[in-house]
Amino acid sequence: MTEMSMEKAVVAPWKLFATVLGVVGCIFLLYRWYQHEMAFSVGLDYFEPEFQTYWMNLMYTQLTILTIGGAAFMGWLWFTREKEAVLEISREEEVSRYLKFLGLLSVFSLLVWLSTSLYAEADAAWHQVTVRDTDFTPTHIPLFYFALPCMIIAGCSLFVWGHTRLPDLYGRISLPFAMTVGGPILIMPNVGFNEWGHTFFYAEELFAAPIHWGFVLLGWSIFFVGGFLMQIIKRIHDLVDGNTELQHMNNVEPLNAPSYGYDVKKAS
Amino acid sequence: MERISTVNERKLFLTLDILLIPVLVILFMGVFSFHFALTVGDWDYWIDWRDRRWWPLVTPLSLIVLPGVFGYLLWDKLRWPLGGTITILGLSSAAWVSRVWNFEIFAGFPLNMVTPSTYVGLGLMLDATLVITKSFMVTGLFGGFLFGFLIYPLNWPIIAPYHLPIEMDGTLMTVADVMGYEYIRTAIPEYVRIIESSTLRTFGEAVVPLTAVFAGFLTVLTYYLWVWVGYLTSKPTWIKKIV
Repeated sequence: MTEMSMEKAVVAPWKLFATVLGVVGCIFLLYRWYQHEMAFSVGLDYFEPEFQTYWMNLMYTQLTILTIGGAAFMGWLWFTREKEAVLEISREEEVSRYLKFLGLLSVFSLLVWLSTSLYAEADAAWHQVTVRDTDFTPTHIPLFYFALPCMIIAGCSLFVWGHTRLPDLYGRISLPFAMTVGGPILIMPNVGFNEWGHTFFYAEELFAAPIHWGFVLLGWSIFFVGGFLMQIIKRIHDLVDGNTELQHMNNVEPLNAPSYGYDVKKAS
Repeated sequence: MERISTVNERKLFLTLDILLIPVLVILFMGVFSFHFALTVGDWDYWIDWRDRRWWPLVTPLSLIVLPGVFGYLLWDKLRWPLGGTITILGLSSAAWVSRVWNFEIFAGFPLNMVTPSTYVGLGLMLDATLVITKSFMVTGLFGGFLFGFLIYPLNWPIIAPYHLPIEMDGTLMTVADVMGYEYIRTAIPEYVRIIESSTLRTFGEAVVPLTAVFAGFLTVLTYYLWVWVGYLTSKPTWIKKIV
């Protein structure tokens, strides 16, 4: 064992991850069950009183909870930040935080899949058997006003958590991380264009139609997760090697010096 | 001198793998599914949309995107020659979950009308070319071409039964056409029938091979574009402030 080696074992909080993933999974499963039961029975006509009771009230409730809850959670993350004290944490603590961060990233991944695949394609299937009467349908309400906001809140929370709890992200911003969470945020305004377009010039519901390509472009922003993973792996690699110095804080080298790129050939 | 990892470090690396791999795979499921649904979507949803001119052309152009982008990341940065296989496996998994839950259970279409196509073989071929040649250039040329070229033959066993002729009310149709007429949708593939009556029909039996070669050629060109995008997006860039 060398001087630089990890002396203490760092264990990931598996129970926390399992609990969070389980809770998220159960909520989305329950919502899916509600959608299945209520879509064709009380969700076919926006102008029926039943639709207002079972769908619009649900939408108002979930939007209120997500807005208040999301703002409160991110506010809490921000106001409980450690400021410069984050630079003083031990190597083991920093590695432990990376493991926690990756666990939270898996929750974000799960929400991406639930939103952009399972809930989005429920909308694709729905539009093939019904004609939209307004922008609010039993598939739009879960997708645009629940699943996507959940994904955005998770992404933003990760961004705030990472930049306030990880020393390597202190005092600077990871561009690929910003792009990864920024694209999904812009999907929400694009919903406005989508609905406007469907109202005015494109009543059909071909999923591959050009009116939907704005979503595609914004979805591609998640390709940037690769650059961010490289930053994480590079830092963990340095920590394991005992190289804990935060060079960007000492201004000893430019912000994007070549050494910041993880290079597997050099590393091996 | 190279340092040997301690037990604690090896445990840490294992933990990292256990955390990172699901993150990536689930993310691929979501992103690929979203991208594919909004660029190919209807062609892959319905058995009567899988025509012989547009479906084999549109599909590889969209399907090559993630294998190119994440193929670069996984091979160049991590030496995993798995970009094509893992991303397409993610797409196929997400597609099966969605077709069963959304199209069959929720909307009531028979599963054999909405069965996803198979593409995993294409990813395997692309990755195999990469691991043998260790070159994105050669992979694009050979693997990329086969990727586009073989979509139709790879799926032929799935599609063939639906192309059998059937007579309904005095009109000769395919099984896929009959299913399309029986299950009325808001997006029936009328365009396919219009194209089939155009002058391209004079190519007769050569239509599929002709489309396959053209698809292979386009996939070669676009593979390089997406590998380049993968190079850009995997750059670990830092900035001082957003605005």
